[in-house]
Amino acid sequence: MIEVTEQTNQNEPPVDSTAGRSRLHRLIEPPILSIVMAVLFLTVIWVFTLNLIARERASADRTAAVMAMDVADTYEAQVVRALREIDHALKMVRDHLGHLPAQEILEDLRSAELLPPEIIFTVSIIDARGEILDSTNRSSLAEDVTAMDFFKRAQEQEEMVIGQPQRDRQSDEWRLTFSRRLGEAGQRFAGIVALSVHTGYFVSGYESEALGEHGVLGLVGTDGVFRVRRTGNDISAGTTIDYNALVPEDATADASVEVTVNRWDDTRRYTIARKLYEFPLAIVVGLSEAEQLAPADRIERSYIWRAAMASILVVVIAALLGRLSWQLRKSRTRVMEERAEHARNVEYLAYHDNLTGLPNRALFSRLIYQQMQLARRYEKRLALMFLDLDRFKAINDSLGHDAGDELLQKMGKRLKESLRESDIVARMGGDEFVMLLSEITEETQVTTVAGKILAAVARPFTLAEQEFRITISIGIAMFPADGEDEQTLMKSADTAMYHAKEGGKNSFRFYSEKLNTDSLERLTLESSLRKALENKEFRLFYQSKQDITTGRLTGIEALLRWQHPDLGLIPPMQFIPLAEENGLIVPIGRWVFKTACRQNLAWQNQGFPKLSMAVNISKRQFFDEDFLKDVGDALQESGMAPELLELEITEAILMHDMDWTIRILKDLKQMGVRIAIDDFGTGYSSLSKLKEFPLNTLKIDGSFIQNMIPDAELKSLTMALIDLGKSLGCTVVAEGVESKEQADLLRTHSCDQFQGFYINKPMPPEEFTSAVREQLKGYADTVSPD
Amino acid sequence: MRITMIAWISLLSLMAGTVRAAEVVVVVSSRNPIETLSRAQLTDIYLGRLNRFPNGKPVNPVDLSERSPMRGEFYSRYLGRSPSQIKVHWSRLIFTGRGQPPPTVASGDAMAESVAENPNAIGYLSPEFLDERLRVVAID
Repeated sequence: MIEVTEQTNQNEPPVDSTAGRSRLHRLIEPPILSIVMAVLFLTVIWVFTLNLIARERASADRTAAVMAMDVADTYEAQVVRALREIDHALKMVRDHLGHLPAQEILEDLRSAELLPPEIIFTVSIIDARGEILDSTNRSSLAEDVTAMDFFKRAQEQEEMVIGQPQRDRQSDEWRLTFSRRLGEAGQRFAGIVALSVHTGYFVSGYESEALGEHGVLGLVGTDGVFRVRRTGNDISAGTTIDYNALVPEDATADASVEVTVNRWDDTRRYTIARKLYEFPLAIVVGLSEAEQLAPADRIERSYIWRAAMASILVVVIAALLGRLSWQLRKSRTRVMEERAEHARNVEYLAYHDNLTGLPNRALFSRLIYQQMQLARRYEKRLALMFLDLDRFKAINDSLGHDAGDELLQKMGKRLKESLRESDIVARMGGDEFVMLLSEITEETQVTTVAGKILAAVARPFTLAEQEFRITISIGIAMFPADGEDEQTLMKSADTAMYHAKEGGKNSFRFYSEKLNTDSLERLTLESSLRKALENKEFRLFYQSKQDITTGRLTGIEALLRWQHPDLGLIPPMQFIPLAEENGLIVPIGRWVFKTACRQNLAWQNQGFPKLSMAVNISKRQFFDEDFLKDVGDALQESGMAPELLELEITEAILMHDMDWTIRILKDLKQMGVRIAIDDFGTGYSSLSKLKEFPLNTLKIDGSFIQNMIPDAELKSLTMALIDLGKSLGCTVVAEGVESKEQADLLRTHSCDQFQGFYINKPMPPEEFTSAVREQLKGYADTVSPD
Repeated sequence: MRITMIAWISLLSLMAGTVRAAEVVVVVSSRNPIETLSRAQLTDIYLGRLNRFPNGKPVNPVDLSERSPMRGEFYSRYLGRSPSQIKVHWSRLIFTGRGQPPPTVASGDAMAESVAENPNAIGYLSPEFLDERLRVVAID
């Protein structure tokens, strides 16, 4: 389909505005704006949240570090005090030993409440051989004390010995034994005083409030052996670790606390390991990172959750706003599109034929103008085809307008299919179509297309469930040769079309100057034809028929001529089709009947024998409803015997509407009028049907006769026609006989009569009268009358 | 009269001995006017959380050594705690420097003696160790 107007898209920003401005403008558009705002809000929310979380985490980290430090400080002080008290007790017992027997000392000191509480601590005095001299709890000591490390080491060591943790045989709990050497320094080893305590004592300050369930509190010897270690309620002892890795060499009390992984249980803790100043021990304090940061984690999670909720809210709001504005925009766009669509429709309807959808006359006018301009610029040729359906009116009348419309639609489709995409088909109204072929270089291209169109149209159409064959006539005019403007070009194509129609249907014809002249003549003819009857310009010429064997005159054929005052004598071929077309043939025919009948009677009165008078009947005339009346009137008025009148009709008339024709012919026969078939052999009569007609005469067309001498095939065909006529019981007449040879040949093949230039040509009545007189006289001379 | 009473007490303690392996009573000096204490007050006194009697006088609890079976009976019956719980309790208090456990005596006789001679003392023992210098404190 062809776009008529350039569609302006209103959604596009104007081309001349700067790109930057349009981009800015786009940002302010509601859907984009809501997205931008949402992104902005989200960024703010998350930056704020992440910042808050980072601060929360840093603060929790600081708090944990400070707490670890606090715990470590307290723990260090407690451990040191506890160790001092133990050492103090050991020294006290040792110092008393000089003054009292060993077995009494403990009881004495206990009574004086000088010993550390019995419930926790066990004090023992052991001699150099390992004999327990006295103990506050004898049963808690090992069987063989000499094997114990606190015993062995005390022999060589002046300071308090901190033994390895041992499992208590009774209670299965870990115990730690401290000992001091008995005997003056440098003197003989006299035994030891030992104090043992369950290891849990040193970690009994473990407070869940500060250390949690996964903190650590412990004492590790410089030998790397944990004397005790507690996590939650879990107390252990005796495990060995890499002391140097755990305890920094030069740890200051205010060193920063860092999270390290505690190797013994693979837990990350804020760990402080600090060597005690007076003892070969280090305290270990650890706060579980996970535990310490748990509140911060919870806060973080709640922040994230809140931020996520806020984000969802923002997104939802943005989505709602975006959707709302998008819908608004969409509906606005739709309204605009509908408006545009409506405009397009109006435009389309204005420029297209609503039946076939093809461009209409107005659009075609514009298109042909454009094409002409292009063709002029590029020096190309165009071909304009004018197409007309030959029997459209008949179809419309007999099948109804719906079928007619359907035919036009199908026709439009077929035409379009026969052309290139770039070619244009338009319907000008009625049954007229025009086609414009562009980029034509040679006329053969046009011929090909015309042939294609004819072939396409020749396929039967199915209308109202019946198959129809349609013929068309195409007139072709070339641009610029046959017209340099639309009007001239159309007129030329129209003229060519008319001539195509005239020259035989289902054909195409190129325009030529001659056609134009013919067309002009036709115009003049048509107007003067109307006046011809009134002005009595018609004449009848007569030609005789003879019996082929006897040469006797058998009849006369009346032939119509037009004596035009300016153009002279016009042959029937040039005005009969026109008269047939505009209906003038009916009154003209009426005149012919009367004139011929009168003339025949006049000749009889002058002494001519009773000759038959043949009159040619045109199709329109034959099917005129007053035809029989006209024939009757002419006979009655002239008084000529009906059997002398012979009506010559063509095969085409016979076959056009057989029922009607048979009825008319039977009526004519009733009247006594004879019927002859004219131009026999040129039509397409069904031979089987011929016998149904009441025929009297069969006239073989001159084209057979004139060519049968050289053409053997035509000769045998002619003979077959003669035989056919005979078998139908008709008088067979040969037309257009021009030579003696032809006459002889016909005679030998039993043809009945003949006419043609061999005898005479058509003549005006006066001339014919004298010619017949001459002939009758000659006949009377040569043939004896009977 | 006194003989009868002793006989009764002996009889009672005998019966008690057959009925309960080691019945323990809480005692103070007969010079101490205290007649009753609540279980909570007794618990607080023995865990070092209370250092005065309800009448405002200072209190000096006396404990038996771990070797005495009466000790376990006392703690489980009156304080509802096991010896190891008591040990953990005092470990913590001693280690953190917040208190000292009551002084201990080795036997029921020693307990009777130390309670009897100190009007502020409070102790516990089997009824067999009771004498006129001591008063049994009723524990609600």
